[in-house]
Amino acid sequence: MPREIITIQVGQCGNQIGMEFWKQLCLEHGISKDGILEDFATQGGDRKDVFFYQADDQHYIPRALLMDLEPRVINGIQTSEYRNLYNHENIYVSDHGGGAGNNWASGYHQGEQVVDDIMDMVDREADGSDSLEGFVLCHSIAGGTGSGMGSYLLETLNDRYSKKLVQTYSVFPNQMETSDVVVQPYNSLLTLKRLTLNADCVVVLDNTALNRIAVERLHLTNPTFAQTNSLVSTVMSASTTTLRYPGYMNNDLVGLLASLIPTPRCHFLMTGYTPLTVERQVNVIRKTTVLDVMRRLLQTKNIMCSSYARTKEASQAKYISILNIIQGEVDPTQVYESLQRIRERKLVNFIEWGPASIQVALSRKSPYVQTAHRVSGLMLANHTSIRHLFGKCLSQYEKLRKKGAFIDNYRKFPMFADNDLSEFDESREVIENLVDEYKACESPDYIKWGMEEDIYFVI
Amino acid sequence: MPAPNPSIRIHSGISSSGFHVLRFNFSSGFRFFSMKIVGLFEILLLFGDSRSATNPLGYYSPSVQENKVIDDLLSAMVGIEGRYISIRKVRGKEGRFIFLIDASMDLVLQEWIEKMFPLCNEFLCICQFVETKSHYKHGLVNHAFAAALRAFLLDYQAMVAQLEHQFRLGRLSIQGLWFYCQPMLGAIHALSIVVEKASAANISGSSTLNLLQSQANAMAGDSAISSLLEKMTECASSPYLGILERWVYEGIIDDPYGEFFIAENKSLKKESLSQDYDAKYWKHRYTLKDDIPNFLKNAAGMVLTTGKYLNVMRECGHNVQVLLSDRPKLMNFGANHQYLKCIKAAYEFASGELLKLTKEKYDLLGKLRSMKRYLLLDQGDFLVHFMDIARDELVKRPEDISAEKLQSLLDLALRTTAAASDPCHEELACCVERSSLVNRLGTLKDLEHGIKKSPAKLSENNKSVSNINGELDEPVNITGLDTFSLSYKVQWPLSLVISRKALTKYQLLFRFLFHCRHVSRQLCVAWQVHQGFRSFNTLGTAITRSSLLCRSMLKFINSLLHYLTFEVLEPNWHVMHDRLQTAKSIDEVIQYHDYFLEKCLKEFLLLLPHLLKKVETLKSICLQYTAAVQVLMPSMYISDPDISDSLASSKGKKPKGRGQALKPATDCTSVRDSIVSFEKEFNAELHSLGPILSSSSQAEPFLTHLAQCILGSGSDQ
Repeated sequence: MPREIITIQVGQCGNQIGMEFWKQLCLEHGISKDGILEDFATQGGDRKDVFFYQADDQHYIPRALLMDLEPRVINGIQTSEYRNLYNHENIYVSDHGGGAGNNWASGYHQGEQVVDDIMDMVDREADGSDSLEGFVLCHSIAGGTGSGMGSYLLETLNDRYSKKLVQTYSVFPNQMETSDVVVQPYNSLLTLKRLTLNADCVVVLDNTALNRIAVERLHLTNPTFAQTNSLVSTVMSASTTTLRYPGYMNNDLVGLLASLIPTPRCHFLMTGYTPLTVERQVNVIRKTTVLDVMRRLLQTKNIMCSSYARTKEASQAKYISILNIIQGEVDPTQVYESLQRIRERKLVNFIEWGPASIQVALSRKSPYVQTAHRVSGLMLANHTSIRHLFGKCLSQYEKLRKKGAFIDNYRKFPMFADNDLSEFDESREVIENLVDEYKACESPDYIKWGMEEDIYFVI
Repeated sequence: MPAPNPSIRIHSGISSSGFHVLRFNFSSGFRFFSMKIVGLFEILLLFGDSRSATNPLGYYSPSVQENKVIDDLLSAMVGIEGRYISIRKVRGKEGRFIFLIDASMDLVLQEWIEKMFPLCNEFLCICQFVETKSHYKHGLVNHAFAAALRAFLLDYQAMVAQLEHQFRLGRLSIQGLWFYCQPMLGAIHALSIVVEKASAANISGSSTLNLLQSQANAMAGDSAISSLLEKMTECASSPYLGILERWVYEGIIDDPYGEFFIAENKSLKKESLSQDYDAKYWKHRYTLKDDIPNFLKNAAGMVLTTGKYLNVMRECGHNVQVLLSDRPKLMNFGANHQYLKCIKAAYEFASGELLKLTKEKYDLLGKLRSMKRYLLLDQGDFLVHFMDIARDELVKRPEDISAEKLQSLLDLALRTTAAASDPCHEELACCVERSSLVNRLGTLKDLEHGIKKSPAKLSENNKSVSNINGELDEPVNITGLDTFSLSYKVQWPLSLVISRKALTKYQLLFRFLFHCRHVSRQLCVAWQVHQGFRSFNTLGTAITRSSLLCRSMLKFINSLLHYLTFEVLEPNWHVMHDRLQTAKSIDEVIQYHDYFLEKCLKEFLLLLPHLLKKVETLKSICLQYTAAVQVLMPSMYISDPDISDSLASSKGKKPKGRGQALKPATDCTSVRDSIVSFEKEFNAELHSLGPILSSSSQAEPFLTHLAQCILGSGSDQ
């Protein structure tokens, strides 16, 4: 069973989107709620073993670790109809069940305390696979558990499994509504540092944009978590289709990511998906061609990440790389024609310091999930405008930090003991550097960035 | 003087019996007659001289002379010498006779008699032909023709017998004899011409048929004669049509005397298809000979393929025969072209059946799909796994690689990936060749008709490549990764379509893809090495620069792979797949399949050596770079824990884990220098590809696609 991927879902949000993700995978592979392969799904040609393994009784078990510091969401999963799907040894809920109180430091500290327990679980899963390719972490960056414990996990994984890939699906908080988590900017900043330094790839799922898409594109007045989560699970499952339904290329995670990520830190990806539908929603069924799909994927309104950029800055923003995963019945000649058209119309603004073009991966669609549309597409893009999202995080942090608000909650924990707030400053520096690097990417001279003295050597 | 009534009766008797008589006597009578004729003929020739010692004819009055001579003449008409008419064979001239008459005969009578001699002569010629050709060694057609002639002669002899009867009754004058012989005269004459030509050229089989037919056509003005000749042709061709029938209905050549127009080369075995690159089985096992009967000239190709198809099915142990009741007899090949319809029907049946057999029982399309999956990497996950587990084996030199080990690793990879659900995966086998792809292509001379190129240019390119890499013709550092290939077991009859040659082409495509995938993988490894530097501030170091070079290389190789798969393989495959669905015969299938492979080879650049070498150079730069990165990058760390600790604490915070720090940029100039030199080399090579692609793209439009893929949207850069 080659190139397995272990999914770790941490915290309330992480477990919710993880849950949706597994539901979607089960549907696509014809696996029942109890992990039994449905009769109609025996002739697959699909790869289930990347994300599942089989128990002695042949039922499929997700390679998933469920972790939380408070029991509510995980209890929900354990009483749901999917309760028999997961390996119960892979579920960790802290004994006290008190959660992390939306405090990054608390989550981080508690992670540190129980590191042996959770790493035992990780090691066991890792040993159970033949050639582990890497880990996928699902979490949010705003709360306490997903951000704090997630951060700790990222560091530990990076340390213990330095040869393995770590990809995260990170939910960024909704900036449009006043959050119940006032310390969200602190948590985000501290998590962002780990995402920058300890993950190979971060798929940014911006709740602001998800909500906007739900309202504007799907015409839901008050999108529920379940509805936005289904958007997330759609993106997650679509981004793994080339691993699960093998094609010519991108059959391993590293191949998928390597071409998207130019330098080690510029590894934050935006996503876009079309056509979007939400369960039970009667949508107008559109004609979908490859060109339509690709064109829509490039429209900002379909991108699940808000840029916060002013017009002038937005026009500077450039794509570093794009991978379009097109699913469905596609005539390959359409791909060429569509790319040609997009090129002619100059619909994409690419960086100027290196070769760039839209990469396309064609993938089969699960035969067991009926969709109204013939073709659907997911875009994974590395776009410099993502720096504005980090900029926003930084400015919110600055505002809060200037007031010195809520810092006391953090001082209670060892990392910030003795009023040592250098962790905050260091995180800010890392994020500022990241923003600078993305900004440098917009310039044609990026290659020479920070290498002034190089001029003597090169030319 | 003879009364007119009976003579009319005789006359009508002869003409109406015509070929009815001929038919009825066809099989039963001829042996007896041949004995009799032979007997008479020989005896007469022996004793002719002694019997001529009678009174000279001038001795008698003209009326008595007439009486006596008619008697003799009637004998001469069936080849028997009389008292006054003697027959001499012309020495050295086969089938020519001289008739001598008693010179004392009445002159008027002599004239009459001499008028009759050609008839007698022609009768004897025909007789002689019948004698000599009635042996099977002259072939079935001649044999049948001889039999038909014999039957005709029987008619003729019956006529002579009736005339003799009239003569005995005293009713036959010489004028009457001449009159009654008239209808026969033309017929015998026409036949004798045929016989003469046939024996002169000593022809058999289809040539005999052609002669008969052309004579019949030449005599088209005389309906009686031409219909006689047509009947003759029909009789003569009947065994031939029998052979034809067995061929078009059963696919068997039943042709003991080599008369049929299709030759079988038994030395070509069907097994050669799956072994021999230049297997000629399909083209040369059955071939058309030069002498094709005219009436089949237009249908010969169809006849050939019909039998070939049936033969294939029989070789499969699949007994397809047209039911006897459904077989329209091929007897008539008259002007109505009925036989052509029969052949067409047989062809359609055979071709339909064979197509059904290959598609349904032997699942041709399934096999092709499975070959696409493995050899064209349509589902590449097994390859990822295989390259993971077989890496250590593949980096060895080709001659050191254990094929058994590789095979077991391949089996393992197949069993544990999506390929497991495909029953065809057991047909796959590993093979490790000894020569590099470029050299292998050089050995396949017949492939190089893709584009015109001067040999001088080729050798020049060769030189430049060997100069760049400092390599000899066969690269010294060649590894299994350069020469690994897959092989696929193809069974008869699918080997007709997927022959050794086709398979070799698949393998060439595979090797190119495989190597690209290998380069791509190595670049991913290099990418991961760079990822390790995430937690350091790499600003101003060679790492960022190297990352970006790695990105350019990845971009190049992935774009190349994208081009190869989505712009070459997929569209061409779809075209072929659709065509195969509607193909009407196996030959069309073979043609479409070969066309697909040929087009892919060409668009894979495998037939364009100057471009291929450029690409190979680029790939080899990538590989050298990845190898260098894995050595250079770790040297950037300061792994001494003390220093890293002091560095870390000076920064105020512990960098978690690693216990490593980065050397200052000034210590890494050598690393940067080598990165920069890789960068220069790669970019120079890549940019030199641009002009070549655009200059060649006029002739080969697919190069435009390639240029757009590799050089990206900003190809103006």
